Amino acid sequence: MKLSVTPPVFRGRLHDARTATSIGRWLGTAFVVCFVTGLISHFTQHPPGWLANSLPSRPSWGYRLTQGLHVASGIAAVPLLLAKLWTVYPRLFAWPPVRSVRHALERLSVAMLVAGAVFEVATGLLNTVQWYPWPFSFVPVHYAVAWLVVGALVLHIAVQATEIKAHWSRRSPGTLALPAEDASDRRSLLAAVGAAVGAVTLTTVGQSFTPLKDFLLFAPRHPDKGPQGLPVNRTAVAAGVGRLHEEEYRLVVAGPRPYTLSLDELRALPQHEVELPIACVEGWSKSAHWTGVRVADLLERAGAPEHARVRVVSLQLRGGYRVSEMGHNHARDPLTLLALRLNGAELDPDHGYPARLIAPNRPGVLQTKWVGRLEVLA
Amino acid sequence: MRTLRVAAGAAGLALMGVGVSLLTDLRELPDVLVWLGGAIALHDVLIAPVVLLVGFTLVRGGVRGPVRGALLVAGALTAVALPVLLRPGKKANPSVLPLDYPRNWLVALAVVASVTAVWLAGRKVRDRRRRPVA
Repeated sequence: MKLSVTPPVFRGRLHDARTATSIGRWLGTAFVVCFVTGLISHFTQHPPGWLANSLPSRPSWGYRLTQGLHVASGIAAVPLLLAKLWTVYPRLFAWPPVRSVRHALERLSVAMLVAGAVFEVATGLLNTVQWYPWPFSFVPVHYAVAWLVVGALVLHIAVQATEIKAHWSRRSPGTLALPAEDASDRRSLLAAVGAAVGAVTLTTVGQSFTPLKDFLLFAPRHPDKGPQGLPVNRTAVAAGVGRLHEEEYRLVVAGPRPYTLSLDELRALPQHEVELPIACVEGWSKSAHWTGVRVADLLERAGAPEHARVRVVSLQLRGGYRVSEMGHNHARDPLTLLALRLNGAELDPDHGYPARLIAPNRPGVLQTKWVGRLEVLA
Repeated sequence: MRTLRVAAGAAGLALMGVGVSLLTDLRELPDVLVWLGGAIALHDVLIAPVVLLVGFTLVRGGVRGPVRGALLVAGALTAVALPVLLRPGKKANPSVLPLDYPRNWLVALAVVASVTAVWLAGRKVRDRRRRPVA
């Protein structure tokens, strides 16, 4: 008996190169924005040695913007990726499946691109809701696959360059060679994809772009929901801190001239008010008014060298990010405070009572709460 | 053009190499490969056939544009909403997932349906007005 396998027939008319190019331009842009902002976030949180003491502390809203863009471009990629894959789906059934070694390698690279793209968008989206159904750690895997995807994307563009060029615009030669009667249907499809991008963006982006917070439907955070009107990631209870007693609290500043301060002594030092955002790696962010002592003043009193890095140690007993470090740009920035008050009131325990770090252009996880110790590093 | 393409292709391969080397450093590589393969299977075996079937069944005739648009927008909103709708387990604190997501999802679908209905009605009125002139 002869086994006959027939590939499926696709009668839809828009699985063509012009549609793929149109959507691909937007999808490629979203992925590049997502990759670059992701790299910024990665190097901000895990700076290699040569970068550790030279990360910039300005603009103060830098990380808020880049991480907001990272999550927004990832969400925008959901409809774009699905539409792009729908367009090219018939190519999965190309017959014969493999024509040559080159063709096989090309298909392999596309498979890696598709796998990596779906993987990155899905794991990123799940991470924003703190849902980890996979048996590996999110950060190193999401980071590694990002390189794989961006590489496969660049390779894909190189392989398809002629086709992309031929269908780049409505008047490109390849586009004009396609059946003219499909043009209006294609425009309608592309408009629908654009509307889908607009809809998913409008219903989520208010978590970082607060003017649109009234349209929030599907974001995992609302910028106004949380103690003192500000979201929280790790609570005092989760960190094993509880409410610290005012009389028992001490801040230790370790440096060439080490000293210890009680909470009253901290309050008696010159207080400064700054407006800075908490910008979480999960994509939400919100600006707030913080009042406290300048870290630069504390370091000056300890006789810290101008270019010294600083380690900030929390009193928390549990959970990651108990210790953070910052380079001299952040440590000496007049906006960097050991904050005692938030929006005019004493810090809530969940926001780090009695004292927390707040610095410009810095991910939320590094804005150490319940600070008990500042160490001047050589 | 050709030189540029070759250079871009080589750059792409180099970037992929960075990813592969980062992945092979991980102890969890086999799990990651299963999930990467699962991502392809999820799309190619489940999502794409379902979308094609829905399109084949519902996107037809003169109203195909608005119907397709409505399905696309509603589908994208649902896909983005799935994690907040389905996340199991205890939340870290009350500021995580603070909204009524099932209600919001229904609101979003109702808005998409209403906008599409108004759009279709508007088109009908416009077509009727044009006809006597023609």
